[in-house]
Amino acid sequence: MTLFHFFNCAILTFGPHAVYYSATPLSEYDTLGTSIKSAIVYLVTALVKLVCLATFLKVSETDHFDPYQEALKALIGFVDVAGLYFALTQLTHRNISQNHKFQAVGLGWAFADSVLHRLAPLWVGARGLEFTWDFILQGLEANANLVFSISLAALGSLMWLRKNKPKTLIPIIYVCAVIVATMPSITSYLKRGLGWHFPEVVGFQLSISLVMALISCQLFSACQRPSY
Amino acid sequence: MAASKRARDRHVMDSVYPVIELLFLLIACSELCDAATVVDVYRLIQYDISGVPFGSRLAGLNHHAASMHFPPSSDLSRTVLIIPLRELNISFVKEYISQRQPLGGLLFLLPQMFNYENKGGGGGVDSNHLEHGSEELRNVLNELEQLLIHSNIPYPVYFTFEDGDTEAVLADIKRNDATGQPATATTGGYKLVVSVSEPKKIVSPTITNIQGWLPGLKTDGDNQLPTIAIVASYDTFGASPGLSVGSDSNGSGAVALLEIARLFSILYSNPNTRGRYNLLFGLTSGGPYNYNGTQKWLRSVDQRLRESIDYAICLNSVGSWDNELWIHVSKPPENAYIKQIFEGFSNVAEELGVKVGLKHKKINISNPRVAWEHEQFSKLRVTAATISELSAAPELLERTGGIVDSRNFVNETSVIKSVKLIAESLARHIYGFQEKNIQIFADNSSLAVNSFYVKSWLELLSRTPRVAPFLPKNDPFILALKKELEDHTHEVNMQHEVFDGMFTFYDSSKAKLNIYQVASVTFDLLLLLVLGSYLIVLFSILVISTRGLDDLISLFRRPPSRKVKTA
Repeated sequence: MTLFHFFNCAILTFGPHAVYYSATPLSEYDTLGTSIKSAIVYLVTALVKLVCLATFLKVSETDHFDPYQEALKALIGFVDVAGLYFALTQLTHRNISQNHKFQAVGLGWAFADSVLHRLAPLWVGARGLEFTWDFILQGLEANANLVFSISLAALGSLMWLRKNKPKTLIPIIYVCAVIVATMPSITSYLKRGLGWHFPEVVGFQLSISLVMALISCQLFSACQRPSY
Repeated sequence: MAASKRARDRHVMDSVYPVIELLFLLIACSELCDAATVVDVYRLIQYDISGVPFGSRLAGLNHHAASMHFPPSSDLSRTVLIIPLRELNISFVKEYISQRQPLGGLLFLLPQMFNYENKGGGGGVDSNHLEHGSEELRNVLNELEQLLIHSNIPYPVYFTFEDGDTEAVLADIKRNDATGQPATATTGGYKLVVSVSEPKKIVSPTITNIQGWLPGLKTDGDNQLPTIAIVASYDTFGASPGLSVGSDSNGSGAVALLEIARLFSILYSNPNTRGRYNLLFGLTSGGPYNYNGTQKWLRSVDQRLRESIDYAICLNSVGSWDNELWIHVSKPPENAYIKQIFEGFSNVAEELGVKVGLKHKKINISNPRVAWEHEQFSKLRVTAATISELSAAPELLERTGGIVDSRNFVNETSVIKSVKLIAESLARHIYGFQEKNIQIFADNSSLAVNSFYVKSWLELLSRTPRVAPFLPKNDPFILALKKELEDHTHEVNMQHEVFDGMFTFYDSSKAKLNIYQVASVTFDLLLLLVLGSYLIVLFSILVISTRGLDDLISLFRRPPSRKVKTA
C-alpha cells in the first residue's frame, strides 16, 4: 500500500518528463543523447554549486530569511545559467534543429534535477506508513520545475543561439530569463521570509511556471517569424 | 591530456562516492525515522503457572486503531481498541475476554497519576493533590488489572499513559468512528505498529535476597544471644512488569525496614546502647509467589542462627493506613510469645494514638499457598508475625504492587508512623522497658525517624519496577539496596537463588509504539486514476500542439496497421 503511494508520487514526479519526451517530436528525432548530455552537465553544475554554497555560505541555525545570504545564494544560483549556457552552446549536438535542441536540453536538465533532489526523499518518505501530502506536492513542484527548465532553455537559446532577433524583444527575453533563473530564491523567500506553507508555494510555482511558459512560447514564436 | 582527463574523472568519481554513501544511509534509515508519533508502551505480563498460559500471548502489533465508539457488528479481528481508563467499561472488557472474541489488540490509556516517571504529577505530595474521582479510577484499574492477570488473552495488550499525542490521536479516531466508518485498510485512519520479536521465555531467572546483621552485645555468661529478625519482601508483580512499582506493597515495607535498620544501627554503634539481642534484617524477593525467596533464604541460613531467632517481624504494606494496623499471626493468640509481641505493640500503639489488631490465621502445611511472609517462618517453627494494613490475607497475585499501587496513593506519614511503632516496640522489648513510658525514638531527638530518608527511599522504590524475573542479579537497584543495608549493618550478603517453581515468564515487557496516520487504498487508487488521466491529457495536448491532431489519431491507429505488417 505504501509502495503504491511511492509509485503514485514517482509517476507524478517523473511521468511528465517521459510524456514530454514521447509526445513531442523529440522522440522522433532521437534526441535522447542530447538530454543525457545535458543531464550530465547538470550533475557537474550541481556539484560546482554545492562546492560554492559550502564555501561561501554560513550555515544558518535559524530558519529565518537573511537577505544577504539569500542574495549570495541567488548569485550562486546563476551557476545554473552558466551550466545551461555550456549545455546549449558548447556541447556538440547531433544535427537537430535549435527548436528541438533547447527542449532536449531543458528536459534532460529538469529530469536530472528531479532525480537528484526528489528521488531520495521520495524513496525514504513515501514508502513509510505515515501519510503526508508533501510528496504529492513535491511531485507537482517537479512539474513546475520541468516547465521552468524548458522555459529557461528556450530563453537561453534565444539569447545565445539566435543572432537575428527583433531588437524590441531582447530586454523582455533578458527580464524573463532573470525571473526564471531567480525562481529558487523567490520561492525560498516566500517560504522563509513570508512564512508561506508548502501547498501555497507549490501553487505559486505552478501558476508562475505556466505564465512563464506562455511568455517564452510567445517570445520564441515571435523570434521564429522572419520579421526583419 | 588523456591522463589529466582521467585524473579529473577520478576526482569527480571520488566526490560522487560520499553522495552514494549518503543515499544508502538514507535508505537504511528510512525504516526508522518516519513515524509521526512514538510512545512508550508497556505490555501486559505474559506468564505460565505450571504450563497454563496467562496474560497477553503476543507482542507484535500492526493494526488499525479504533475507539470504544466503534460501530456495532463490525469486525474487530484486525483492529486495536484504544480504551482510556476514564471511559473503561469493565463489563465490556470482561465479556470480550471471557467470550474470547477476536480482537487485533488492546491499548489502555492510563491517567498520568499512575505514571511513576511523571515528575510534575505530584511525586512528593500526597493524596490531597489527586484529582477528583481518583479513588474510583483506582478501583477500576485494580479490577482491570486482576482481570487481565488471570486471563489468557490471545492478542497483544499494551498500556500507555495519556498525553498530548495519544489524546489527539484518540480524538481523531473517535471522530472517525462517529461517522460510522470503522478504520480499516480502505478508509485510512491510524495504524498502530509495535515491531518486536516474539516474546521468549526468560531462562533461569534469579531472585536475590539481601541480609544484614547487627550483632548484640555479648557478656561473658552468654552462650548465644537471641535474634530478632525484621523482614520485608521488596519485589512486585503486576499487570505490566515495566509499571509494577508497588509503592505500598511492598515498597513501604522495604522502606520501613531500611529506616528501622538505620535507627538501630545508631543505637548499636555505641557499646552502651547496644542491646542484648542480635538483629537480622532481610530484604527478600519472590514475595508475590508464595514468598518463594523467603523460603529459600530460611532454608539456606545457618540452622543455629535460625533456632536463635526469638521472633520475626515481617513488614507488608504499611504505607496507606490511617488508624489501624494489623498483626497477622499463625499461632493462636494465647501463645505466650504472640501475647508478648501483641502487648508490646499495642502499648506503643496506644501512646501513638493508633490501634493495633491481632488476626490469627492457621496455616495448612499441605497447601502450597502462603498468604503472609510470616507463614514461611511458622512452617519452620519460628515465631513470626506480619505487620500490615490489610485486615485479611490477599489471594495469590493480589495486592502485590501492580500498576494500581502508585506513589500517589501512599502516604509517607503512614510509613513513618509504622516505623515509629515497630522500632519503639522492638526497642522496648530489647532493652526491657516494656512497662515504662520512655520514648526511645522521640521526635526531634537524634534518634527520631528521619522523614526525608523515608521519603527519598519511597520515591526511589516508587520509580523502580521490581518484578523479580525481570530484575537481573546485578541490577543497580539491588546493588543500591545492598549498599544501603551495608551502611547500617554488618555482614551484608546477597543470596542469589534460581527462581523455580511453577511460574514461567516471558520477556519484551516494554516497547515503542509507532502511530502512523495512513491513507486508504481507495485514496491511492483515486490518486493513480487522477495522475493517469493527467498524464494522458498532457500527452494529448503536447502531441496536438507540436504535431497536430492527425498525429494523435494516427497514434491510436498504428497498432492494427503494425499487426497487418507482421502478418
